[in-house]
Order: sequence, then C-alpha cells, then structure tokens
Amino acid sequence: MTHEFHWGVLIVNYLFLAGISAGSFATSGLANYVGGKKYEPIARLGAYIAPFPVMIGTLLLLFDLGRPLNFWRLFVTVQWTSPMSIGTWLLTFFIAISLAYFVLWLPVSLRNFIRIPHRLKDLLRLSRWTRLTEEEVRRGKLVLGGLGFPFSIGVGIYTGILLGAVPARPFWNTPMVAQLFLFSAMSTGVGTILLIRSLFFRREVSHQEKMLLNSVDAALILFEIFLIIPFILHQRLSTWSHAEAIKIIMGGSLTFYFWIGVILLGILVPLSLEIYELWQIVVKKHLTGHRLNLGLISGALVIIGGFTLRYVFVYAGQISHFLPVR
Amino acid sequence: MAKKRFAFVIEIERCIDCKACMVSCSVENNVPVGHHRNWVDQIGPKGTFPVLGMSFEPGNCNHCGNPPCERVCPTGATYRRDDGLVMIDQDKCIGCKYCIEACPYDARYLNEETGVTDKCSACVHRIYNGEEPACVATCVGNARHFGDINDLQSEVSRLLATNDYYRMYKEAGTQPAIYYIFKGGRKI
Repeated sequence: MTHEFHWGVLIVNYLFLAGISAGSFATSGLANYVGGKKYEPIARLGAYIAPFPVMIGTLLLLFDLGRPLNFWRLFVTVQWTSPMSIGTWLLTFFIAISLAYFVLWLPVSLRNFIRIPHRLKDLLRLSRWTRLTEEEVRRGKLVLGGLGFPFSIGVGIYTGILLGAVPARPFWNTPMVAQLFLFSAMSTGVGTILLIRSLFFRREVSHQEKMLLNSVDAALILFEIFLIIPFILHQRLSTWSHAEAIKIIMGGSLTFYFWIGVILLGILVPLSLEIYELWQIVVKKHLTGHRLNLGLISGALVIIGGFTLRYVFVYAGQISHFLPVR
Repeated sequence: MAKKRFAFVIEIERCIDCKACMVSCSVENNVPVGHHRNWVDQIGPKGTFPVLGMSFEPGNCNHCGNPPCERVCPTGATYRRDDGLVMIDQDKCIGCKYCIEACPYDARYLNEETGVTDKCSACVHRIYNGEEPACVATCVGNARHFGDINDLQSEVSRLLATNDYYRMYKEAGTQPAIYYIFKGGRKI
C-alpha cells in the first residue's frame, strides 16, 4: 500500500514551534515565580520568546488548510470531541496572554511605544497602561505568568492529544504521545533559553542560572526517556496494529531519524552534557564552567531533537494503519 | 415507522474486479482525476499451486454509526444524518485534513479544486428519487446492494438475515455500515 501524506512539514514545524512557545512561557513563569531577581534573565528571555514561535506556527497551519480563507469557521464553534477545536481555543488564549506578558516584560521606554486606540483602552480599562508603577508591573507578571501557565501546559499537551485521538493510526493512538510531546515541548523551551543565553550572553550567565536551566532540562529529558521506553514496549506488546506500527522506527523507514536524531542527538548527548555541567558546578565547585560552551551545544541539540521527534511522529503515524483481526 | 439506517451489502463472491463501480461513481459525482470515492481491494492470492484462491473486496465510505471523522472535525462540517449517512457540509469545511487521518478506511480525500474533503455520499441525490447509488446500479455482477436495514422487507435486510457477514475494522469501534457477505467469513 502506498502512503499519501496529508500532513507534512508545515505541521511538523507548527507542532515544534508551538512546543517552544509553551516551554518558554512555562519556564519564564516558573523562573519569575520561584526566583525573583536571581533568575530574572531567564524569566525575561522566556517572556520575550514565548509569543512569537507559536504565532509563526499558527500562520503555517493556515497555509496547510485546503481553504485558508475559511479558517474563521474554527472560531464560531466549540467541538468538544475534536482536539483541534479545543486546541484552537487554547492557542487563542495562550497567544493573547503571552503577548500581554511579553509587553509587561519590555523596558518602560519600549512599553511606552505601544499605542492602543483610545476607545479600546477605555473598554479594557487600560488608560493607565503606560503609567503602571513598578509594583503593578511586578504583580502583573506574576498574575499573567500564573494565568498563562495552565494554557502553556495545554498547548504543549494538546499537540500530542491531537495525534493520539485517532484510532486509525496506531502509531499515535496511545496516551503516551501526549505526555511525550508535553515534556518535549517544555524541554525545547528550556533548550531555546539555554541556547540564546549561552550564545549571546555567555559572560553574564551566573552559575545559579546554569544550575536551574541544566537541572530542569535534564529532569525533563529523563521524563522523556521514561516515556519512550514504555511507548516502545507497549506498542510491541499491544495488538497486531500497534506491533506493526512500531516497526516503522524499529528497522523501518524512520529508524535512523528516531534512534540517531531523537534518541542519540536529542536525548542522550544533551543529557550527558547537562549532567556534566551540573557535576562541575555542584561537585567540583568549578563555577565558570567548561572552556567549551556546553550550554550552547546542549541547547541546540535539544532543539534539534525536539524537531526530529515531531518529524518522526507526524510521518510514522501516517504510515501506520489500523489492521483487521484475521 | 422506524428510523432509516442506510447500509451497503456487498457479496464478495459476485465481484469480478471490473471496477465499473469506480468509474460510474467518478462520473456521477464528478470526482477529480487521481481520487476515488470507492475502490476494489484484492485479497490473496492465497494457497500454493495448484490449490489457489483469490477474491475481491469492494469498498467505500462505511457511513459509520460512530464515525471517527465526525468526532475529530473542528468545525462541525462532518455530520451524521438521521438516516445514517455521514455527510460533509462543504461550506463549513476548512480543509484541515484531520478527518482524512482519522478514517481507518482511507475513504476520504482532499478535493484540490475546492479545497475541502470529499467522500462517498451514498449518492444521496439519487436514493431519495427512487434510484440506487451509481456504484450499485452499475455493478455487473450484482455484488453491491444498498438499502435501509431497519426496513425488514428490504433487499439488504433479507440478504443479512439469510447470510453470514463481516464488517471491516469494526474492532475500531466505528460501527461500519458496509456488510460483506462471503461464505464462511472473511478469508485470506
């Protein structure tokens, strides 16, 4: 049987970009909540990143539609049984909250550049927008960070549920895909922050910051490992449809991408590098870090791994097929 | 009178793989070149020479009682009618292709000319005018039948009452409405 791919690289990119946004927002919100001043650079950078990848991603989604101009049909209904409909609303609220959160993090001088029409200002009671006090901004960040956090989790997990809700595609049809995509989304978010901090602000990165980013990402990667192992085992030990589906990454056409791209480059190597960095700081008290920019490498690898994971899942799912009991 | 439940009954042993059903469907419903709303799958050949067998299994949209395509549709474009037919509201469809992924029968395709998904409509424009669906009307071996299985006097009801049958992928919980009659069940 030949396979026609209805969902292609646009969808892969969308799932990946939405994951980065969800992860950056969640990281930023958490760093701001637990850390205050100490982790401020992380919270700030996460807030700056969060709204944009997902906005590019949703634009890609529109291009993937057969009738892009009909997209507004998504916004006049709620279909409770359709993950795509739920996802549409999650994305809408997430993008709105992350944009407002982004604005609050802007330096005052930049924030003043943002002009809101007077009527809208009155409607939203934003007339004092540009004259917010420090305390109000601080509280606003906490409130929006807390409000947006469940939405960021929602965006991260719904991308997996979107695929998993389809019995016709046994490769996707397991609840573990949703968890895997969530942890991978969080991990790529942390990875993006790690990458940008290590790339442009290497001299400023404090060892506390390094500790937080490396330990959180290492934990997320461990969660991923503990999902991938049962994912493969359960597929192998489940029905014929599932056992056949898992062969796609166990000797089939996507084996190389999965084992080299996702497992080796996206999981094992960055995990080792992060543990090495933590060991250097905690055990060796070597606060300046390795002479190589390890954060840069592990951040980039985590991102590559996250992209490859989505690539493998989107295509493998479409190759897999429900098979009859014979 | 009981609610209608339209269904197809297909007698496997009468199918000769002539594919006239595919041609008549494409003509009747103006299906774009490269797509089909129905098909004929080959089962086998099985056995070893000289004891061999091969048969053909025609198919189309199963008009499921619990359609996965309807469940995942984000705009409510795909819906199930009271008479059991699963239909697409062309105005509401945005072409997201989620339903194509969700269908275990691969019964759907994206019509590139209109940008929306399409599939078998059981020739709904014919059946209420006293005609059979195009594939049924044209079938040279009389393998395809169509009718209301809630009407106990109908041809399909009589066929189901007196024959053993199977339904494809009913393990997926779809409650499909194509009943295949094949003496002794599905063989491969």
